[in-house]
Amino acid sequence: MGDNRLMIKVTVNDRLYELQVDPELRLVDLLRDELGLTGTKEGCGKGECGACTIIMNGKTVNSCMVLAFQADGSEILTIEGMGDGEELHPIQEAFIRQGAVQCGYCTPGMVLSAKAILDKNPNPSEEEIRKGISGNLCRCTGYQKIVDAIKDAAEVMGGGGDER
Amino acid sequence: MKGNIVGHSVPKVDAKAKVTGKALYATDLYMEDMLYMQVLRAPYAHAVIRKIDLAQALAVPGIVRIITKEDLPGLKNHGLIFKDQPALVGIGEKVRFTGDTLAIVIGESNIQVRKAIKKIKVEYDKLEVITDPLRAMEEDAVTIHTAGNIVCTHKLDKGDIVRGFMEADLIVYNEFKTQHVEHITLQPDAGLATLEEDDTICIWAATQWLHDTRVDVAQAMGLPVEKIRIIQPAIGGAFGKREDIIAQLHLAIAVREVKRPVKTIYSREESIIATSKRHPMIFRFRTGVKKDGTLTAWEATVIGDTGAYASSGPAVVHKGLYHCTGPYDCPNVRGVAYTVYTNNTYAGAMRGFGATQTAFAYESQMDIIAEKLGINPIELRLKNAYQVGSTTPNGQKLYASVGVKETIIKAVEAFERLGGVIR
Amino acid sequence: MKKRGVGIASVMFGFGYGEGFPDHSTASIRIKPDGRVEVKTAAADVGQGVLTVVSQIAAEILGVPVESIDLVNGDTAVTRSSGSTSATRQTFFTGNAVMNTAQILRSIIFDLAVKVYGKTYPELYFENSCVVPHGAEEKKISFAELAKIAAERGEKLEAEGSYFPITTPPDPSNGQGERVYVSYTFVTTIAEVEIDLGTGQVEVIRMVAAPDVGQAIHPQNVEGQMEGGSAQGIGMALMEEILFDEYGTLLNPNLSTYLIPTSLDVPRMQTVIVEDEEPLGPFGAKGIGEPAMISTAPAIINAIYNACGVRIKELPATPEKILRELKKLAAGN
Repeated sequence: MGDNRLMIKVTVNDRLYELQVDPELRLVDLLRDELGLTGTKEGCGKGECGACTIIMNGKTVNSCMVLAFQADGSEILTIEGMGDGEELHPIQEAFIRQGAVQCGYCTPGMVLSAKAILDKNPNPSEEEIRKGISGNLCRCTGYQKIVDAIKDAAEVMGGGGDER
Repeated sequence: MKGNIVGHSVPKVDAKAKVTGKALYATDLYMEDMLYMQVLRAPYAHAVIRKIDLAQALAVPGIVRIITKEDLPGLKNHGLIFKDQPALVGIGEKVRFTGDTLAIVIGESNIQVRKAIKKIKVEYDKLEVITDPLRAMEEDAVTIHTAGNIVCTHKLDKGDIVRGFMEADLIVYNEFKTQHVEHITLQPDAGLATLEEDDTICIWAATQWLHDTRVDVAQAMGLPVEKIRIIQPAIGGAFGKREDIIAQLHLAIAVREVKRPVKTIYSREESIIATSKRHPMIFRFRTGVKKDGTLTAWEATVIGDTGAYASSGPAVVHKGLYHCTGPYDCPNVRGVAYTVYTNNTYAGAMRGFGATQTAFAYESQMDIIAEKLGINPIELRLKNAYQVGSTTPNGQKLYASVGVKETIIKAVEAFERLGGVIR
Repeated sequence: MKKRGVGIASVMFGFGYGEGFPDHSTASIRIKPDGRVEVKTAAADVGQGVLTVVSQIAAEILGVPVESIDLVNGDTAVTRSSGSTSATRQTFFTGNAVMNTAQILRSIIFDLAVKVYGKTYPELYFENSCVVPHGAEEKKISFAELAKIAAERGEKLEAEGSYFPITTPPDPSNGQGERVYVSYTFVTTIAEVEIDLGTGQVEVIRMVAAPDVGQAIHPQNVEGQMEGGSAQGIGMALMEEILFDEYGTLLNPNLSTYLIPTSLDVPRMQTVIVEDEEPLGPFGAKGIGEPAMISTAPAIINAIYNACGVRIKELPATPEKILRELKKLAAGN
């Protein structure tokens, strides 16, 4: 795509990448098409559904609304970076235990939003949880079991919200 | 019967793959040498196409092929019940809603394909656009399909409706309307197709019934059924939308022409404009009831707007009629259901399939009746609720598992346990 | 000022295509050389959990843990039709097909084991992927060993089965038929709403739902269907509407103009599962997918009336519509 490509350095799931990116390339496309991290889903391309939620420098962002070059120098966590190899993260385990997964398309984004909620407050109220995931649309579950899973994970993690 | 495993909430078998992001949806499939496909949709909801000029679009770098109906004169219509929907609309033919397809554009990147689509020039003659099913049913309305705008009519006649109304102490008439609803499956429509060495077309795309999708794709293309293979990836929600062929037929056409893997992902906007909706329906209910609340007669007219194509419409609309008295025993029922074409986005299956729309109408009607009679709405329901031995509007006798009264009693108990007060 | 009201709605849903349609489902099951159980169906799991349900049914009948089931997913080259994931039919149809198939395979395994042991049928039972002789538990034979023995004898531990019930096409002149649908699911929802009389905004603050599912194969999944269906019902009742202009142009094709419920629009709800067994269902089960959403919208609409006297006859009950009706009421009184 020509000479206007930009050089960026970005850490994704603890791995440093040095990449040439097209200035128009979105972060979601970088993750999915170029790095093969297809766990990050795209649902609307307009920042309206939250399916493409990732954690960038400690905060959740819609990766469809960020250009890849804007991620230069940042640290990114995607669903593939949750848990430790074969070991699931307690949030993921709680999602399975509570039946919070139906079609699963919102799930990666939900799990990352859940992590951001618990990182901020290891013992959130139902209202805080509902506010925290209000940018993540789910069409299958009615949210109740997702809320329950986040409460469950908080309990299991016993306040240690930042571990992976 | 509960068993050692049945009746217990074991971990869902697909949850681990989904919670780790490893489950592969059609959007997540990639292949070497893969091309991207998008289609040009109709510029107007009802029009005759006069000219499709591809020259500038073909000049966009990276464009491999643009396919129009003129390339595929043998292409047949598809559809779940009636074969009334074209995968491509050609010169001299009609578009019937803004989601109809005029050209399939295939290129090396999605960005190039989208650019090319904007450069296709279409000339067309506008026709009267019909968005109201009642207008569609009028004598002088332009016909959207040659056989007329009423796709089909279904009738219901149980007992003796005249006697039923004569027995009634109160007759209540109301009209209710429901709206177009969109499924919003969180995963946008998408698919990937390959052409195998033996010319079999393999399609990975979410579908609710892969064997039926396979047959419909094959018959539309005039291919033996064995030459189409449909493989189910993970499905990011369906709710009825993925009963219709969405991208599969376009992918099959494309892959056969370019002989390289072809992928497509719809934008959210395209998905909402071009794929099925919940049928908006009109219900005219006249209900006869005795002073004590016993239903004696139920007369129903149901009109469903199936949009530009029938899809599941002929089954959806009459399901609304067949369920018109809800879970209540009424000895005398008469009704008619009309499934009607308009130039709106076609309507098809959506969770509840007509029974959702009609429930809003009959449960509103029951509450209106309860108030007019001065009977508690819960009592009115319990009085008329089905039990073993009741017959439905179709005359089907219920032999077992008729738990409706228990659902009412249990729901009331649970609501009160939570501190709710029924006023 | 805010006002509260309560509404109830009860619904029925005839599931399966019914009406004489050739509605059926086919499954096949085999014992693999390693003793694991392979279940093949083309049933589409759209998130509702049919693959979990069929795994449970196969595991229950064959006496194996769910973890030892391997699923082969839908692929027209390797699976036969399981019909569609629609009409609330998969638990009933593919559930029955898998139950029938597992029963056939169970009998094939029994027949082989009887020959291997030289023991009568009542002397043997299934447990944890093994055939076990009563009173001689140490002589149990695993499915893996049985698969090997079967292969040596040129036999196969596999079965294919279908479920294909007959329904009646309704008479076109009057819609009458003896068995138009295979069976019916019932649901009652009670919703409590709070209406802001100044803005017309409706909030659903409390909700219970009681579905009669015959027998819940997986109670958590039934709750999940009810919770998700109810959320869609809230959307249909209060906010969702695709709009077209007079030229047939769709006016709100994105998620900022076509709103669906978020986590803040859906209240915590309680599901009370009613189990009035359906003799024809697998283990007594009926389907729940579609009826899960049907009773929500009418319960909410009835609650709105109960709260403020506004009878909404055209969905959705948007704040504008409610304010308009409130004004009419005020003018009328």
